[in-house]
Amino acid sequence: MTSFFTGKVSFAIKLVVVLLLSALLLTLTQSAFAQKEYFIAGFLAICILLLVLTYLTKISIPLKFFLPGVLLLVAFVLSPILYTVTMSTFNYKTGNIVSKGEAIEQIKNRGFESDPDGTSFDIKIGRYEMQEAILISDTINGAYFISTETNRIPLVAADLTINEYGVAESAPNFETLSDADMATADEIYSLKRFKYEDEYFIALEGFEVGIVSRQVLSYDEVKDQFENIITGEIYTDNGRGNFAIADSPDQYLEPGWRAPIWFENYTKLFTEERLRGPLVSVFIWTITFATLSVLTTFALGLLLALALNKPIRGRRVYRSILILPYAMPSIMSILIWGGMFNTEFGAINNLLGTEIAWFQSPTFAKFAIILVNLWLGFPYFYLISSGALQAIPSELLEAASIDGANPRQIFRRITLPLLLQILSPLLIASFAFNFNNFNLIYLLTGGGPRAELDGELAGATDILISFTYKIAFGGAIQDLGLASAISLVIFVLVASISLYGIRKSKVLESFQ
Amino acid sequence: MNPWRKLMTKKRFSAVGFIAAVAIAVSGLVVPSANAADEIVVWADESRGANLKKALAVKGDWVPGYTITVKAFSNFDALKDAFDKATDASGPDIVMGANDWVPTGGKSGKLAPVTLTAAQKARFTPGQLFDLTYKGKLYGVPVDVNNVAMIYNTKLVTTAPKTFGDMVTYYKANKTAKSLKAGLCVAGGGMSWGAHSIFSALGADAYQFDSRDKIVYNRSFNGTTFGKNVRTYLLDGKKSNGFLPASDAGCKDNFLDGKVPFAIIGNWEWSDYVAKGFAMNLMPVPGVVANKPGKMFGSVSGALLTTFAAKHGVEAGAKSLLTNFFGSTAGQVLYQKYEGRPPAEKGAALDATVTEAQRGFGAAASLSSIPQIGAFLNNNAGGANYWDSAPAYWTAVLVDGKDAVTEGNKLAAIWRANTSAGKADL
Repeated sequence: MTSFFTGKVSFAIKLVVVLLLSALLLTLTQSAFAQKEYFIAGFLAICILLLVLTYLTKISIPLKFFLPGVLLLVAFVLSPILYTVTMSTFNYKTGNIVSKGEAIEQIKNRGFESDPDGTSFDIKIGRYEMQEAILISDTINGAYFISTETNRIPLVAADLTINEYGVAESAPNFETLSDADMATADEIYSLKRFKYEDEYFIALEGFEVGIVSRQVLSYDEVKDQFENIITGEIYTDNGRGNFAIADSPDQYLEPGWRAPIWFENYTKLFTEERLRGPLVSVFIWTITFATLSVLTTFALGLLLALALNKPIRGRRVYRSILILPYAMPSIMSILIWGGMFNTEFGAINNLLGTEIAWFQSPTFAKFAIILVNLWLGFPYFYLISSGALQAIPSELLEAASIDGANPRQIFRRITLPLLLQILSPLLIASFAFNFNNFNLIYLLTGGGPRAELDGELAGATDILISFTYKIAFGGAIQDLGLASAISLVIFVLVASISLYGIRKSKVLESFQ
Repeated sequence: MNPWRKLMTKKRFSAVGFIAAVAIAVSGLVVPSANAADEIVVWADESRGANLKKALAVKGDWVPGYTITVKAFSNFDALKDAFDKATDASGPDIVMGANDWVPTGGKSGKLAPVTLTAAQKARFTPGQLFDLTYKGKLYGVPVDVNNVAMIYNTKLVTTAPKTFGDMVTYYKANKTAKSLKAGLCVAGGGMSWGAHSIFSALGADAYQFDSRDKIVYNRSFNGTTFGKNVRTYLLDGKKSNGFLPASDAGCKDNFLDGKVPFAIIGNWEWSDYVAKGFAMNLMPVPGVVANKPGKMFGSVSGALLTTFAAKHGVEAGAKSLLTNFFGSTAGQVLYQKYEGRPPAEKGAALDATVTEAQRGFGAAASLSSIPQIGAFLNNNAGGANYWDSAPAYWTAVLVDGKDAVTEGNKLAAIWRANTSAGKADL
């Protein structure tokens, strides 16, 4: 058997795996490059190089084990964190999404207006004297002409082929484009401004219609500003991702772009009353919720583990049943519980003979959240407590018993401290998980109830992460920069609390 | 020996070279997907997408020289989510979206303006074009009318109610005898959008218009009058009298079971009611005073041009598709034959193939509706937007037993602030 993994066979297997991975990564690199995502393309190229070097040479044996983990850590943990940190210092929200270059391009494309009469013509696309041109039919006035970018050539109707609607189909020296040619020439013709009169030009609105327009906004690349040619207003970069009039900052051009505003998103958290108020109450509830979740799930899980630690009849059946909530997808469980809490049709009110509006009352909603989380979480602590109980030497318990300790004293003085020493990291991890338990809050209560009519921004059961989600995606204006800043604050909080817990429990000392 | 030479033995060097060559060869077979130069991509939800494909397939050359690809998403939310995340490479050229996408899409630079000729504009009502306009620029072509209307179960109610009070009187008189679960419920559109006609019937319009049909920005409905109407018609003391449930859960089933005499239904689901034998006696929700019915939102869904079209080099083709198909009589008749909604285009709305139900919804919309102005409704300057504050009112008054007048005044203040702040986004 071991010979299967040595020699030529193993080399061949390794070669095939590296080959397939390299091909996949190279495809992704190409795709990233084509979409101008140069950072991602560069990272993927480095991954390919590292993979080939690590697994086909003896450059480093430990790296053969660490490399996949390190690459995945960089790709899916460090990079999103770095991106979030970066975006938290940007004005990145609806209206300020694209890059500056794109914003300028779009403002230029929008920066024209139709003539006061809304004049439009039927047109044909083609070429005239080797130039892109359009054959124009002014059916109202019975006039026809050809326009290029620089010239406007009047035509005589008698020289043209005109259809029953009065639209010219062909003209001398005018070569109409075929359907296939129109498709390939779309981009060129769409950008053209065909000559009309004075400052007015004709722009394409489809292949059959030309609209008389004039440019209103002009971009000065040197000064990096837009000028309204008609009114003379100057729009300059306001440093926050928009071209705005210096004296009237509320008058700005759209779209804007994502621009760095440094720590403004962070100061907003503490200076803006609309955010500061809810943030404090949401933080308090988040800590309370995470703590209660850990305590209740651990308590119930441990209780059941202790109860089933003894050899009783049907223990295997009970164990299987207790693990079922853990085996079911949590999303399904949460949604089913949501239905069970329904005021009119829910099983809980029917069972209790009550009409409690579970999700309309802050207290009942919080109780429901804790209860559902207990249901979802206790099997996990039951499993690990069962395992941890097996790890406690029975001699310690026997010795304590011989020394006269009763079961309660044995549990409190020997079993529980040993269990906590083993389970501390998992308790801290569970706290960190519940601190950011978005699924449960979003699916069960949506963060509510919320007194919208009293102007409340956060609901009674909103935790920091669901509150962040509301700010980022909950309204018409999505403020991703602010949401990134709040995410970072959450990260710092969770990391601090976790580190404190780890230090206090002295878990890491056992690894030294 | 040179460490590099030691590392890269001939065998390993050959292996690396072989891998590189094969990897390049294999990856070269897979070309990153991108729209073809003559392909116009349209995104739509699960219903519109499927029906669009059928309609477009009838005539293959809506835009000669181009193929039109329709991508249908599993639901409207999935479509919105995908559009929000779309990039230059992956984004559509046209998207079938709601009118309230226009302000955010225009602001963010995802939607591109279109200019219609006078003749093309004349095919639609000014309100429909306004729905798809942001800061003076039109961003698409109206395709279908989105609205709701009230119907009544003719097995329970023999004549159309003339006032809101008529409906409440009927309910109270027959509640026990006919085991009614409610008097009026909202089967389509939810307790914010669908229920606007109830708000309006009782005196609370989302925004106010003057005699010249111009929006009044610094005024809201009279919260006290509205609250008193709610007390009169929907409450018994401080508790709900059961006429109007605070949520729309179970409404459609209860109406179809004959347990609710009046229901507000959406124009996308009328066939479900016709199939169960219900007459489409569509009407606006009657007001507290006869002949002053509640106004529903009369919005349109549109075919919206995206900025991706220009980047894909199909802008002119996409604009042609907007006018040749989406904005034309022939195109809308064909499309609505499958989709079943009231067409927005005037010629299509009069076409003989449009069903009675579609006409009925269109007529109800023209009788009593206000435009759905996203700039006001999505704005939360007052502390909550319309979509959150409207259902919150029903919950507060009908479930929590809070005072209808006090909460009504709060609602009026919120909607006034939202309208004022939303002016900048028009």
